Amino acid sequence: MVTHRSTRTLMYVALALITFLVILPLIWLVFISLKDNAEIMRDPLSLPASASFSNYAAALEKLDLGLLYRNTALVALVTLAIEIPITFASAFALARLDYKRGKVRAALYTFMLIGLAISPFILLFPIYRINHFIGLREKIGLVMPYISTSVSFNTLLFVNYLRTVPREIDEACIIDGASLGQLIVRVIAPIARPVLATVIIFNLLYIWNEYPFASIMLNDSANYTLSRGIAFLRGRYSVDYAGIAAYSVMIIVPELILYIIFQRNVMEGMTAGAVKG
Amino acid sequence: MGWLSKTRNKVILLAPTLAVYIVYLIVPVFIAIYYSFMRYSGISKPRFYGWNNYIRLFNDPSFGIALKNTCIILVMSLILLGVGSFFVALLLNQRLRFSNVSKALLFSPAIIASIIVGVIWGYILDPVTGLINNVLRSIGLDALALEWIGGDTLSPYSISVVYFWQQVGYIAAIYVAGLKTIPTEVYEASAVDGANFWQRLICITVPMMKGTFISVGVLIITGSMKIFEVVQQLTGGGPTHYSETLVTYSYDMTFASGEYGYGMALATVTFLISFVIMGAYMFITREHGERRL
Repeated sequence: MVTHRSTRTLMYVALALITFLVILPLIWLVFISLKDNAEIMRDPLSLPASASFSNYAAALEKLDLGLLYRNTALVALVTLAIEIPITFASAFALARLDYKRGKVRAALYTFMLIGLAISPFILLFPIYRINHFIGLREKIGLVMPYISTSVSFNTLLFVNYLRTVPREIDEACIIDGASLGQLIVRVIAPIARPVLATVIIFNLLYIWNEYPFASIMLNDSANYTLSRGIAFLRGRYSVDYAGIAAYSVMIIVPELILYIIFQRNVMEGMTAGAVKG
Repeated sequence: MGWLSKTRNKVILLAPTLAVYIVYLIVPVFIAIYYSFMRYSGISKPRFYGWNNYIRLFNDPSFGIALKNTCIILVMSLILLGVGSFFVALLLNQRLRFSNVSKALLFSPAIIASIIVGVIWGYILDPVTGLINNVLRSIGLDALALEWIGGDTLSPYSISVVYFWQQVGYIAAIYVAGLKTIPTEVYEASAVDGANFWQRLICITVPMMKGTFISVGVLIITGSMKIFEVVQQLTGGGPTHYSETLVTYSYDMTFASGEYGYGMALATVTFLISFVIMGAYMFITREHGERRL
């Protein structure tokens, strides 16, 4: 693999340029967030006259960012606390138990992957009705759809991983007198830690970013999640460019930090579905 | 292992997931279809309306526009993302210094909330205050300062570019994973034979990446048909439904206009269209595979 020095230089330039172009919109967002509205309207390209964080302070006064974070965290916590155990358990049953007829297992597995092909947009109104019927409102109404739309992805990842873990482990544990619950929680879950991390982070990002369900279920601004809050600002204060920019920065930065810390898991989680179809 | 695989155990393990999955994913699809045959404004009881919602849909010019826009975005995304990200991936795979940093940075837009992606690109595409047009005007290219959003023609193209930005690093990462599976010996042998870059690319890399290309195609098709927040933020579907896509139009009809029956007919048709496109795609890619074998 010998490449000429000049082509290599060219490749460096190309990669640097592409990376810069992709990062530019984010830099521009920070830039906008430091200017005031009059400046943005009059001369958008000028450097911020007085780089100040006044937009940030003003944005925080308009909508309680702490509240949005708490709401999002609560929804995420409740969703994950239910979703991870139940989908892990069902994936265990699909991956590691014997079925008298193999077709039953295959049919169940296929059935649980159908969700990958169902767009959430056909579900919005029906789920709104179902929630209304059951009596799940506002934040808590988000939990069930967030779980149901993640079942297929979780099943795919969990089952693929659990199949690689030797079945003899189960036998040994049962012979040693472990119960089914002990086997899953104490033995299999620790082995599956990498895939658990990937699935948890993937779902956390999904909930953090989700907007369509949040937009139909959340009516009271006291219950807004992060995405819903942004849309609210955009709608009500459509002239306040700077404020929305400041807000966006405050939502993106923690997200990017999370991404940097868990980069491996994030990338794995998002590419896993594609590589193993 | 008989004890472990008892039916009772299976039921305990599977029932909770299946219950949520059926009630909140499978049943809603049928509820949507049910409402698509109803006339329902949210106040009185839904009335049976036969095929009227579907008849209306085929005579609705806004539906035609939404369908056209969705197709533009789909084709543009297949070209930009399917091909563009592949070249980015080739670059990332060259063992350049900092290529891991680049990969991480390129990937970062994919984790940002779509609604914020819409906000960010508003600052860039806005015809009056946006970055692009102001840069163009400041260097004297006023003629190129077009109505990227808010006009009646360019919006779907702009939205494709935004989607490209959002996904380029993600799709490239998938391609890189695919490229890593090609054994280096194959390239070494071809280098000995004197094959140049393009010959290697077309004769070795592309054919050996077929599986990855197919997966990427699936992701782009399903993903580009779900673009919603960006459209809502950039144009709101306007002016007068000119930049609407299938999902934003059905959302608008359902939740903004309160025409639940018609909205669900739109959602059902959208669902069917994506199924047909996916089916056709699967069929085409499968046939290619058989021919090659």
